[in-house]
Amino acid sequence: MKRSTLSFPITPHAITLVIALAFIAAPAAAAPITMEIRGPGSQLSTMAVSGLKSLSGDDDHHISSVFINTLRKDLELSGYFRIIDPHAYVEDPQSSGFELGQFNFADWRSINADFLVKGSIAADGAGIKLTAYLYDVAQQRRMMGKNYSGNPNDAARMARRFADAILEAATGQKGPFDSKLGFVSTRGGRFKEIYTQSIDGQDLYKLTDNPTINLFPSFDRSTRYVLYLSYKSMAPALYLADLKERREARLDSPHGRVIGGTISPDAERVVASIERGGITNLYLITREGAEIRQLTDTNGINVSPAFSPDGQSLAFTSDRSGTPQIYVMSLAGGAARRITFKGDYNTTPDFSPKGDKLAYQSRASGRFDIWTIALGGGEPVQITDGNGSNEYPSWSPDGRYIAFSSTRDRRSRIYIIMVGNRKIISALTEGNGNDSCPVWSWWLGD
Amino acid sequence: MIPVQCGRGGWVISSSKIARVVAVVSLGAMLAMGCSSKKTTGVNDGTGANGIGSSGIGGSTDDKAVTTGSLGSNEHGPLSDIHFAYNEYTIEAQDGSVLRSNATWLQTNAQSRVQVEGHCDERGSEEYNIALGAKRAQAAKDYLVTLGIPGSRISTISYGKELPACQDHDESCWAQNRRDHFAVSK
Repeated sequence: MKRSTLSFPITPHAITLVIALAFIAAPAAAAPITMEIRGPGSQLSTMAVSGLKSLSGDDDHHISSVFINTLRKDLELSGYFRIIDPHAYVEDPQSSGFELGQFNFADWRSINADFLVKGSIAADGAGIKLTAYLYDVAQQRRMMGKNYSGNPNDAARMARRFADAILEAATGQKGPFDSKLGFVSTRGGRFKEIYTQSIDGQDLYKLTDNPTINLFPSFDRSTRYVLYLSYKSMAPALYLADLKERREARLDSPHGRVIGGTISPDAERVVASIERGGITNLYLITREGAEIRQLTDTNGINVSPAFSPDGQSLAFTSDRSGTPQIYVMSLAGGAARRITFKGDYNTTPDFSPKGDKLAYQSRASGRFDIWTIALGGGEPVQITDGNGSNEYPSWSPDGRYIAFSSTRDRRSRIYIIMVGNRKIISALTEGNGNDSCPVWSWWLGD
Repeated sequence: MIPVQCGRGGWVISSSKIARVVAVVSLGAMLAMGCSSKKTTGVNDGTGANGIGSSGIGGSTDDKAVTTGSLGSNEHGPLSDIHFAYNEYTIEAQDGSVLRSNATWLQTNAQSRVQVEGHCDERGSEEYNIALGAKRAQAAKDYLVTLGIPGSRISTISYGKELPACQDHDESCWAQNRRDHFAVSK
């Protein structure tokens, strides 16, 4: 396998966002550019994603296909748009233009498109140059556009960035698709291994390959590191994989056996769950393995640590009340505060990107559902619908979605749900194994 | 295979280039080798010709290892399993006689060592279940120690819900999976 596939496929400098194009706005559009968008939840806005106009020859066709197919998939996953079947498009992108005034909006109004993406692709020996525009069909105006340059393998990532930009134009908030999903899967056999993929399912990468048990992947904010638990030495231990340097380190403790952990957003610290004599407590250590201090000291179970986005607080699960419940503590010191009181089994907390809410799993009728709770007070909100067991929530970087595992379709898969309407659910993983322990990364860097 | 007792002076970081693990030692052999076996498992020790292969940086094994490598020990040895109530780790009354029988065998076979494997049913989060299984294993170890078996002959490990003995999704299966298994080595 090529080296480029061993780390995330896009190296930091591979994509250059040249400029966000400046526009002469349509006559009516002196106001800020916003879309009138239907949904989610009601009838969705319709989107046509046209093929890109090739400016440099037939070799561009494959690149164009990758871009538009990735863009269509991400826009569908967003829950905001219904993508109009390309077979319905009446216009040939190669014979018409993509700039405002070079094509006929009636061709798109006739197929009931609310919005339209058009663009161009040019390739030369040095790489590709891709331009994409978002048009409002009803108002016949250009709303947003981007230029991207990079190598041909970057086309899918350009599409993810453009999808994120479309959501920003549509909702005022950037989309979350230029990111990674980490998860555990048995798809390769009976063993649980760690994988990563793009949110839209491309770029599947198998991080571990050992005939044991691998669990609990967590990313730092730069997505350079993956921390995970593995039994590959026949006993559980934490491993810190450095995707940039392509090496990893094992973290051991003098205090006992490490059974779980998570890495801080800045990658400087790790919180490890350490068991000794049947008692499990949390410890704060550096990325290099030096102990900073013990965080919990109860005679029971303290597990499932999760850093707040600012790295200053920790959420975790403890049985100190007699049942598993979720607590939050400041890493600067002070007592832990109990957050959950409803239900007798609440665990696997994850902070929202703003740090104002937790998502977690709560047991009822022998299964779990995903709930959220505001840290400032208020009643917990049930997010998933009681279909199957729904576990291990992880927020998207924009805070709009939660990834979670569910057995709603018999085998366990990773799904995405929009937190705001709690209805739109799509599977993010496929294959013949069981998928679990999803973790949604921060946006990938430039 | 008793890392808890393989004391180290502090947090240890062992950094290495990732490579193919040439051989995976079975659990039985691991037990036989005791603590020192930890170094022989070849975890990311940089040996092996392939270096970083298609399988990523998280360590790899050859295909043969996939079929021979093993975690846990579900075969029936000389000692009997004990079982637990849901989300509990206390030894139930009827299992006291099982543990006394196991202790008698261990006293008769004084050279043997035992690893207590704590297991859970599939309900609950992965990490909480590993912690719960550790409590179950520790409870049996403590009980055996009160019966006169030296703690130095008893190690513990938890597999949480990762190695179920029974694969169905009902209470009869869950009850079988909430268990301590006793793996013996000489």
